[in-house]
Amino acid sequence: MTDSPTAGQPVISTEHLSKWYGQVSGLNDVTVKVPPGITGLLGPNGAGKSTFMKLVTGQLKPSKGTIKILGEPIWGNPALYHRIGFCPEQDAFYERMTGLGWVTALVALNGLEPAEAEAAARRALEAVDLLDAAEKKIGAYSKGMRQRVKMAQALAHEPDVLILDEPLSGMDPLMRRKTIRLIREWGRAGKSVLVSSHILHEIESMTSNILLINNGRILAEGNVHQIRELIDTHPHSVFIRAEDPKALARALLVEDGVISMRFEPGAVSVETARPDAFYARLTEMAASGEAGVIDEVTSPDDNLQAVFKYLVKQ
Amino acid sequence: MTALDTRPPARSSSFMRGAWRVFELSLGEMLWSRRTVFLAIVVGSPVLVAAVIRIVDSMGVTPFRLNGQRLDYTAIFGVMIWLLFLRFIVPVLGVFYGTSLIADEVEDKTITYLFTRPIRRGAVLVGKYLAYLVCTTLVVLPGVMLVYFLIVPFQQIGGSFTMLLTDLGLLALGLAAYGGLFALIGAVMKRPLIVGLVFAFGWEQFALVMPGYMRRFTLMYYVQSLVPHAMPAEGVTSLLQAFFTSTPSALTCLVSLAVAIAVSLTLAGKAVERREYVLDQ
Repeated sequence: MTDSPTAGQPVISTEHLSKWYGQVSGLNDVTVKVPPGITGLLGPNGAGKSTFMKLVTGQLKPSKGTIKILGEPIWGNPALYHRIGFCPEQDAFYERMTGLGWVTALVALNGLEPAEAEAAARRALEAVDLLDAAEKKIGAYSKGMRQRVKMAQALAHEPDVLILDEPLSGMDPLMRRKTIRLIREWGRAGKSVLVSSHILHEIESMTSNILLINNGRILAEGNVHQIRELIDTHPHSVFIRAEDPKALARALLVEDGVISMRFEPGAVSVETARPDAFYARLTEMAASGEAGVIDEVTSPDDNLQAVFKYLVKQ
Repeated sequence: MTALDTRPPARSSSFMRGAWRVFELSLGEMLWSRRTVFLAIVVGSPVLVAAVIRIVDSMGVTPFRLNGQRLDYTAIFGVMIWLLFLRFIVPVLGVFYGTSLIADEVEDKTITYLFTRPIRRGAVLVGKYLAYLVCTTLVVLPGVMLVYFLIVPFQQIGGSFTMLLTDLGLLALGLAAYGGLFALIGAVMKRPLIVGLVFAFGWEQFALVMPGYMRRFTLMYYVQSLVPHAMPAEGVTSLLQAFFTSTPSALTCLVSLAVAIAVSLTLAGKAVERREYVLDQ
């Protein structure tokens, strides 16, 4: 195994990278250097995030241009996957396998002996707080547990570079907080992480280094604070699936910044002008259980779309 | 949650080691898939037929006669092996499993986990192929043995048991050959199931009854030439058998099938290595 990427050298570098699906452009002439550390890839759905992630992980071949991970081309270079861990967006599993069996089987593909693979899988499941449910079948996991077992398979072989595609999607507030903390720990431990999301708040809680992507192009790269004010001027909507949505709505109604609420079956959608304070309060409520169990928190990308429209016009 | 601090050793996986790991991962999933349950029912139908023959026979009624003569039980078993298993079940299993070795993973969106590991994509295909072979063998061979023990009377078992073993080997060879060919079709074609069915039940049936060299471009020509059973020598069966009198030697058949399997898997592996799999979002 080679050393971890050294400071200053890009972990991911692309030169005029383009990808077309027939006549449709997925990514258009992207030249970018992703430094070591944590980098957020931020863009609305359909912006080209997944295409970029698939090119970075060698699942797709560039139509034009080049992409290098840790200085090497990734397409057709399986040895490089010793140093890369990938957590995909799709909710796809071998449902009949247990979490431990699945992670063990996947990490065994990295050349580990069965006993080593199981030990590595146990460590990874412990890292994502899933060791208690390790012997349960994945088909019986909740959405948040499924997200975590996906992360476990990505980090079990301790890669230098972790690529996480929408890793917080569907997690409850407590698990979100834990996962964000874990990602930051990886960053501090010298690992490089590329994490995609369509929610600025999520990315901002992990890193200030972002790539803004829209319509298959990188619009901006650098510090997140530059667009922070712009985001704040737009209301942020949050969808919360909870055991008792009415009790949750009552508790949230008194919070500053809540603009509107809409009930849906087993859930409530909230629009807030102060997303940071809102998420902090939601996490507190999930921890104390004062408004019942909160199962899932997601945020549609409407607010980010509006900001991107504004950015493009500028 | 804590970040990990004990990095497991990184070893480069050889092609076959990677294939073996994929085999281990895939076998359980394949065995308990809905496809296998459905095909176990298909394979169970000859067992049902054999059970009916046994019941009819135990009632003192002769189930099959040819020119007034009672048909030998081993001959009945031979006809079932040839018509039901070799001509129908083996190609069906080959088409349905072989064409979907990679396609199933793509459809389920689980291919990402296999293609982002340090093993060659060709090893993924070979591992899935081995899982197919073991899975289908485990479905078919017990069915054949049940048919044998239901049809052949206890007194005749000693003399014909070697024939049963040859049949089992032959069926496994047929599954390997058809699975390999249809894995290739699955790797390179956009509609592999249709192409596979047309090949197995269109082209092969047509080419086998045509005189000349065309039958040599089928797998069934080599597989059924290895059938150890003597077919009934009169009637429609003998007419059909006449088409297969110019059978190649066993060695030719075995070498031809081995080459077909090796070439199919090599080309399929290369196709999978080059192909991009775009998952639907």
